[in-house]
Amino acid sequence: MTEVNKLEKWKTALNKCIRCGYCYEHCPIYKSTRWEIDSPRGKLILLFGLLNGELEPSDYIANKLFECFHCGRCQKACSSGVPTLDIYADAKAYFLEAGFDVLGTTSQTDESVCAGCLSCVRACKYEARSFSDGRIVTDRLKCRSCGSCIDVCPAKGISIGRGYGTNPDELLKQAGLFLDDAGNPNAKAIVFSCGWSSYPGFQAARCDTFDVNPEYKVLVTACSGRLKTHTVLETLEHGAWGILVCCCPEDECEHGGSKKIKARMQSLKGTLEKMGIDTGCIQVAEVPQGNRKRFTDAVKGFMEQIRAIGPLFSGSEK
Amino acid sequence: MNNVNIERLKEIVGEDNIRDNAADRYVYGSDASVHEAMPQVIVRPENIEQVQRIMAYADREKIPVIPRGSGSGMCGQVVPVMGGIILDMKAMNRILEINPQNGYCRVEPGVVDDDLNKALKPYGVFYPPTPASSVVATIGGEIANNASGTRSVKYGAARDAVLELKVVLANGECLSFGSSTRVAASGYPLERLIVGSEGTLAVIVEATLRFVPIPKLRCLGIAKFNVLGDAGDAISDIMGSGCQPSMLELIDKIAITAANKAEGLGLPEVEAILLFEADGMAKETIDPEIENFKAICERHNGFGIEFSYDEKERARIFAGRSKLFPSLSKYDERLPSTSLADDMAVPFSRMAECANKIHEVAERNGLVMTAYGHCGAGCMHTKILMDTDKEIQWEAARKAVAEIYDFVRSVGGTTSAEHGIGLSKAAAFKKEKETTLELMRAIKKVFDPNNILNPGKLMDGPDNWVEATNLRYQISKA
Repeated sequence: MTEVNKLEKWKTALNKCIRCGYCYEHCPIYKSTRWEIDSPRGKLILLFGLLNGELEPSDYIANKLFECFHCGRCQKACSSGVPTLDIYADAKAYFLEAGFDVLGTTSQTDESVCAGCLSCVRACKYEARSFSDGRIVTDRLKCRSCGSCIDVCPAKGISIGRGYGTNPDELLKQAGLFLDDAGNPNAKAIVFSCGWSSYPGFQAARCDTFDVNPEYKVLVTACSGRLKTHTVLETLEHGAWGILVCCCPEDECEHGGSKKIKARMQSLKGTLEKMGIDTGCIQVAEVPQGNRKRFTDAVKGFMEQIRAIGPLFSGSEK
Repeated sequence: MNNVNIERLKEIVGEDNIRDNAADRYVYGSDASVHEAMPQVIVRPENIEQVQRIMAYADREKIPVIPRGSGSGMCGQVVPVMGGIILDMKAMNRILEINPQNGYCRVEPGVVDDDLNKALKPYGVFYPPTPASSVVATIGGEIANNASGTRSVKYGAARDAVLELKVVLANGECLSFGSSTRVAASGYPLERLIVGSEGTLAVIVEATLRFVPIPKLRCLGIAKFNVLGDAGDAISDIMGSGCQPSMLELIDKIAITAANKAEGLGLPEVEAILLFEADGMAKETIDPEIENFKAICERHNGFGIEFSYDEKERARIFAGRSKLFPSLSKYDERLPSTSLADDMAVPFSRMAECANKIHEVAERNGLVMTAYGHCGAGCMHTKILMDTDKEIQWEAARKAVAEIYDFVRSVGGTTSAEHGIGLSKAAAFKKEKETTLELMRAIKKVFDPNNILNPGKLMDGPDNWVEATNLRYQISKA
């Protein structure tokens, strides 16, 4: 068995985890998959298994440890004060040293399109990106999977392998599937719903079969701040009549995402205005965590608004 | 037991809803208890029909099936002691109906308690059992364990909230028990039989629950005591006075010390603290209740009494209780907090005696134990803080658990107030229910003739919980 000494110092902390599971609902990855192995508790149990020899290290387990958006909410929610982020950091170092070549949610560069402009190196506030031997290198221990590099890459050559809904490609694909569905002539809008604020309300809203309304599709993102302008723009180009972004109220947002997305959408509205497009097709709504009524009201109001505006481009009318 | 045919299960729920690799099985092999055991596969059904097909298959092949919510149980209820299929119910998480006119809601079992209450809030109502784990606990798990919480003294437990249950039997048949009406007089209340059955009788696939109005006002108070017995006397007098607290919590000195040590709360280091709350729609009805609590506490030498309607003040007063659970984990770096002897219920008049007994047993066995609980419901909690690496401490814990439950039975108490039995309380449960064990086994046989639903639990649980499964800790002989 591969040595796991690096983790030995966390044995006491792993014992301290009382496995209450209070971390679950705070983890965007668990919320996306609903598999316990993707929860913070699941990760700690895996490490415990490695330490006591009940599990063998594997690519599968290594990958689970590298799948994290570093939001820190698990640590904050932990009733036992287990320093989850520090433990994950050491676990990742252990797996890399042991030769496991996994990426998890680490951002990666497509070298076939990378021009070496260094925009991503400058954009990374965690100094996870560098230019070495003629290529961009990502430090897998430093990368926080924030997506800043993806946003600035002019060649669209950076991605996160599995983004749990946060990747522009994933969002666009899901939006496209909905908007292009020949069997649904009523498809009109995409609602990008922040995983922190709207999602609990979104779950609850399912009592009205709200999430299967033929006119719009709710796509849950990890944080509204990770929603990029080009994703919204491309969704509009794809034929959506409108885009609603539901984010946390600014004073409740723990990731600075509300401020970012509001600024982005304001800027986009300016661009659309210059193009002569009704800016009512884009709206940002602040939804306090789990407030189903605010969420449903925002969606209903927005749908009325875009029905009044009509399709944005010829050919997008269904 | 036959091997699980993974391909057959994939046909039922699809490839994305099955996990059978060692890492997933290991994660699903434990809960918040001290136990662990590996299932053969985890299956995640998305609808009732899939549950029916899984059960029909498992029954035919005689493969154990363990329905699982969030795995936050403290006694090993969902630990698969005989392997088999973990039925992860969290994908069935729709709120199907909120019906304010008729005073009920219908939900799937994987709905998380807090999510349900968020959805109910705009209607001015709440689902009251709400255990401390409501942020993660699923409605199905709460019903299976008959969960309750700090306000159960007024609003009752899961059993009181369940009106109707749709369940899938071991053979795959889907049946409805109970009625969505507020009263249902005749016949055996089968829905109530399912509550607290810990997954041994049927798989809950839909629940119709009653809810209650959210009170407009809450007033929370605190009283300090230099003698634990005085606090105990105050509890029984309050409960016998005809008034109706919405919360009545006891915190002992060890718990106070833990909260101060871990969180720096600066609570008074007295022998006991009582927290009392009354709620309602008007101050005129709450004030007399609070005055009554205050007078009774003073009569039993309570001091430092204060109370408030203000939300921030209430949060300050409640801080010691709300921080207690994490405090215990942080009490001593060398002593993890284990869920052992985690809950029990005793008559109100024996609460203080029970707390003193817990202290005495802990000291005699070289362990650290605290006593706290929803004493207005007769519910007492403790945890054992111990060096989990040492085998000798586990033997001490086993003795302590047995001694505490011997005491509980001797004063007319019961083994579980709200956490359930699972594995670690099975020995005490079997002693308590000695005369009805065979009847319970006979009932299980009617529901589940092949004994595939969560086998080895409750009345069939182990006599020695230390040896029943692997323990989740690394234990050395030294």
